[in-house]
Amino acid sequence: MDSKEKLSDTSDKWLDAYNDRVASLYTFTQCMTLSDIKADGDWKLIIADLGTGSYDMKLKVYKNTNLMSEHTIMDLPTGVVTFYLDTLEPRTPAIAVASGPYIYIYKNLRPYFKFTLPPLEIHPVEQDLWDQARQDHVSPIIMKETLESLRQEGATLTTRSLRLLQLDPSDLDTFIQVQKSAPLKRQTVITCLGTLKKNLADDDAISCLVIGTESKAIYVLDPEAFTVLATMELPSVPVFLSVNGLYDVEYRIVTSCRNGCVYTIKRGSNEAVVKHTIELKSQPVGMERIGKNIYVGTMDQMLHCFTAKGKKLWSIKMPATIMTLEAIDFKPKGFSGVAVALGNSQVQIYKEKYLTDVIHTEDVVTGLRFGHFAREDGTLVMTTRSGSLFVKILKRTAKFEERDLSAGPPAAQNVKLNVPKKTKLFVDQTLRERENAVAMHRTFQRDLYLLRLNVAREYVKALENSMNPHLIRSHRASQAYSSGWLLEQLKPNLKTLFVVQGVGPTFRLTVNLQNTSLTQVSTSLLITFEYDDKLYSFHKKLIQVPMLVPGLMYLYESFIDCLSDKGVSDTVKVYVLKQGRSMPLITGVISMPVSEAVVLS
Amino acid sequence: MADETVNVEAAALTTHDRDQDLKTTKIPTAEVHVPNVHSDPSKSRPRKFPDIPLFERKNWLIHLHYVQREFEKCKVLIREVLGESSGMCEYAVYVQALILRQEGKIQESLELFQTCALLNPHSADNLKQVARSLFLLARHKAAIDVYNEAAKLSERDWEVAHNQGVCYMYLRDFEKAKQCLHHALEYRRHEVTYVMLGKIFLMEGDIKHAIDVYRAAVEHSPENPDLLTTLGLLYMQVGQYQKAFESLGNALTFDPTHTKAIMAAGSMMQSHNDFDVALTKYRILGVNTPESPPLWNNVGMCFFGKKKYVAAISCLKRANYLAPFDWKILYNLGLVHLTMQQYASAFHFLSASINLRPKMAHLYMLLAVALTHLEDMDNALQSYEQAVKLDPTDPTIPLNYCVFLYNSGQRKQAAKQFSTFEQLLRAPKQSQQPVDQAVLDLASKLGPVLQVGENLVWKQPAQPSGPPVGETPTPTPVPPSVDNISNDAERQGAYAVPSREGTRNDLNNNHNLASSEADDSSQTGADNLSQLPLQGFENLDRSQLRTPLGLPSSPAPLTRMATTTGLDPEILASPTVEETAPDALYAMPMKRSVTRGGLAPLTHGSSTRGGALPALSRAPLPPAHDPEDDDDNECEEIEEQIETVKQRAM
Repeated sequence: MDSKEKLSDTSDKWLDAYNDRVASLYTFTQCMTLSDIKADGDWKLIIADLGTGSYDMKLKVYKNTNLMSEHTIMDLPTGVVTFYLDTLEPRTPAIAVASGPYIYIYKNLRPYFKFTLPPLEIHPVEQDLWDQARQDHVSPIIMKETLESLRQEGATLTTRSLRLLQLDPSDLDTFIQVQKSAPLKRQTVITCLGTLKKNLADDDAISCLVIGTESKAIYVLDPEAFTVLATMELPSVPVFLSVNGLYDVEYRIVTSCRNGCVYTIKRGSNEAVVKHTIELKSQPVGMERIGKNIYVGTMDQMLHCFTAKGKKLWSIKMPATIMTLEAIDFKPKGFSGVAVALGNSQVQIYKEKYLTDVIHTEDVVTGLRFGHFAREDGTLVMTTRSGSLFVKILKRTAKFEERDLSAGPPAAQNVKLNVPKKTKLFVDQTLRERENAVAMHRTFQRDLYLLRLNVAREYVKALENSMNPHLIRSHRASQAYSSGWLLEQLKPNLKTLFVVQGVGPTFRLTVNLQNTSLTQVSTSLLITFEYDDKLYSFHKKLIQVPMLVPGLMYLYESFIDCLSDKGVSDTVKVYVLKQGRSMPLITGVISMPVSEAVVLS
Repeated sequence: MADETVNVEAAALTTHDRDQDLKTTKIPTAEVHVPNVHSDPSKSRPRKFPDIPLFERKNWLIHLHYVQREFEKCKVLIREVLGESSGMCEYAVYVQALILRQEGKIQESLELFQTCALLNPHSADNLKQVARSLFLLARHKAAIDVYNEAAKLSERDWEVAHNQGVCYMYLRDFEKAKQCLHHALEYRRHEVTYVMLGKIFLMEGDIKHAIDVYRAAVEHSPENPDLLTTLGLLYMQVGQYQKAFESLGNALTFDPTHTKAIMAAGSMMQSHNDFDVALTKYRILGVNTPESPPLWNNVGMCFFGKKKYVAAISCLKRANYLAPFDWKILYNLGLVHLTMQQYASAFHFLSASINLRPKMAHLYMLLAVALTHLEDMDNALQSYEQAVKLDPTDPTIPLNYCVFLYNSGQRKQAAKQFSTFEQLLRAPKQSQQPVDQAVLDLASKLGPVLQVGENLVWKQPAQPSGPPVGETPTPTPVPPSVDNISNDAERQGAYAVPSREGTRNDLNNNHNLASSEADDSSQTGADNLSQLPLQGFENLDRSQLRTPLGLPSSPAPLTRMATTTGLDPEILASPTVEETAPDALYAMPMKRSVTRGGLAPLTHGSSTRGGALPALSRAPLPPAHDPEDDDDNECEEIEEQIETVKQRAM
């Protein structure tokens, strides 16, 4: 378990403290925290493990490198925080684990209290319906219809009603019978969790819990009585929370939401301050507050920095997808920055917009915490996608450069341009041209005219022989057995298409004839072939074509045997002739495919 | 302690919770006492009804995996959740649709978003996503309708207004598009909106407003190199070079490897003869975009400016290889070959360029010069005629024409062209720009020979040195012998080309440079928007440049030049390449370089006929070897070889 083998690490600022590649943790930044829960100066790592994602969820507490205790959690943990809920000595903080609609609070590593989110308001009609159902005053069908229309109107229904809507009419009655006696309530789910000091700014002052829910609300809980102190509405579902200030004095809750916006809530307002909204172009992957600035990493590989008022300060592009963010506030050195875990298995540390350090990891880091661990001040705890746990300690000698590692002129500027080379031959040609330019030009022009003349002659010749240029399309059938060559010819009123099929030694040649004129029929046509009779033998040497009705496609076939097994092929000419004319109407030249070996019979 | 805990908890629990707690009883490890209390039968009630899990209980986890781009895990989760809730979990469907969109399956994603909108018809988000999908499918009208619906649900929504504007833009309803985008800016200021708005103004050809928009955008986000570059290019287009350079410099401060900014800044440096700095900057691009034709064109012209002609040809040929149908590269190649006295090659490059761009007067003029040297006088004459016809405002064309006519013995016509030249030179438009000294020198030689013209000595018209009115031209005492003159003039003809080039540089506000830079900027503008899934200018450009690639199917549409210059009619493009197609894509920074390289004072009247250009043999000294230079020794040696041969030919 304690494989202490060194990571190939470029950064010399960190010491490897602990590597556990088989920790099999499934967790995120918000499900990890570092806290001195025993008040003995030996800080523990608390991780809420999502297990397999559906069962085996555990709350794990690491003391140094050992797993100190493990508690089973009922449902998927959403977040873990530690906070002081009383003023008792010794100052041991409580652990709060959010899960579903509940918050489980552990004190001294023992279950202490379970808080349930206040149920949401139920639509009066729905409530009424279930009340009637309890007394069997309403038929299941009517109930379903009413609920359906409620939903259409946009009312948010309870899970029970939604479930009912999906049932077959036959199952309705049983369902209602089972469910009706239980009180109807609408619950929601916690999506994020944070803490807020109540009235003192001390490290061990009593804190309130701040809870974001799926119902687009934020609750502030009183730590002693576990009552809701404040409720705030948001335009969307909160995903990440960042809280600072004191509840009784002044506080600010910054929350990024699923609609890609970051909202700020101040004390006294129960709604987000719209003026300070930050609209992002992409979904936020992590949000941290350092000093007065808000750092947001987004899905489009950008790290943005905004002022508290929502004005953008800068954005930088990351080399890979951002997985999570963690603020680094290292007081002994007065360093504060943000650590960004990336999809290329790196953790980069930025001070403002300047990259100051890069840590290479074995796997993609999904959870990241910086802080006290054991007796060390600066410790970076990382969990990876594959479930490993890595702990690194910041060296005491480590110094973060204040300036950008990539400053100065780009390295590319020192690379020579790859200018193509020229040879002696080029010089000779240049000189030759310089001396003989006129002669060269004239020769060229004369040859060009000759070429054009020849082309024109050939063209006329082809026209005279009715060997008009063909539109040739190479066509290979997808089946392994048939390879076809296809010729298509367009004549004013006759369209032909030649297809050769087969792999040999016997091929099938298909001639498609179509009379393209609108009114006139074509009569007394013949098809014949010209070929090398040492190489090929045609089953039909002459095909008499009956009258062609305009528009219809006629097919004529002939089998061709290839007589050679030498793997040679030749062209075959197809003539479409009209009786009484010596000149073919259409000539098709077909390149025959090479035949497979001849089967000797 | 344990008792107290239980009490508190019991008070807080509702009956339903307690039921939940029944399950909690299974948690306990030895140290947990609480569950024992719960298992007490007196307190727990028998389970009467099955607990229904909340549909949305895993939404946060789906979201978290989605933003981390772990789409596979996401899909597994979604399948699970949708199974549990029989498809009723809106958010799971929503994320599924988002993932499908990321995978490019727009149609399927649209269907899922429509499902979301059915599950929750009162969410503006769902409608916005439906509209977005429609937009991606290029069904802009339908998208606008859905956005209108969404606008009812969420008022003053930037996203809705912006996207509607973009839809209208693609429907080419620019008025409405601008209106929507202005609304969007009122609601919230976003860079994209500025960029879109600027793009619309550019599409309408309204550069002034486009500049205003981009300036506002830069104010809003002063560190965006793309915006700064586009602004810089727009400034260049309207001739505000100072501001342009500032803007481009800022862009390079924030992103020292920004391709467009380097390209634009480099071409400006070239126009100030700052070739070494420009080359250093181009090195960055040589690493980033080694296959960019404009880059190699500009590098080539840098070498040309530094009189390294072999390197220039190498680079230009590579540019030509990369973009064979770019007339500017061909133009430059023609020019360099003319300078190298490779007239046959020059002819081919120039005629190829003319085929791609049949309306450029300068191309015809250069062609005429090449033809003159190829001793094809008839076609040269035709070519000059065509050039004059196409651009009657450029004084260098009549000047070169005049030299040509004079050499072929047509003094009368030559005198006529010379007076045209004088008129053009004095035209108020031209007088504001400095005319190249070489042009003036040539003119002051020609004037007396032709015994026309009012000035004996031409000076920069910018200087108020107009000749005193009424001064009659002093007749040239003894006209040189015909032979001599023709020799002189022959050479003049040769020089006039580069001198024209030089002038061209100064006139570039009217001509090429301006337009080419304009294109450059529009191209940049387009590139900024490249994330948006529709046509950028660049794409348009390319495709339009590509259309004439195929040889014209019929040899019919020959321009007159085809016959006269003996050009192969087949090669001549039918005049489909039109002004509508934006000019070539980048600046042609050839310009002044030529002036320095190629112009020789007329006084060097050596009588060797057909000899090398004195300019070439004299002016360019063997290049000093600079170890930092990009063309290495081998190249230099070749350069030197050519130089020495030239000198020998003298």
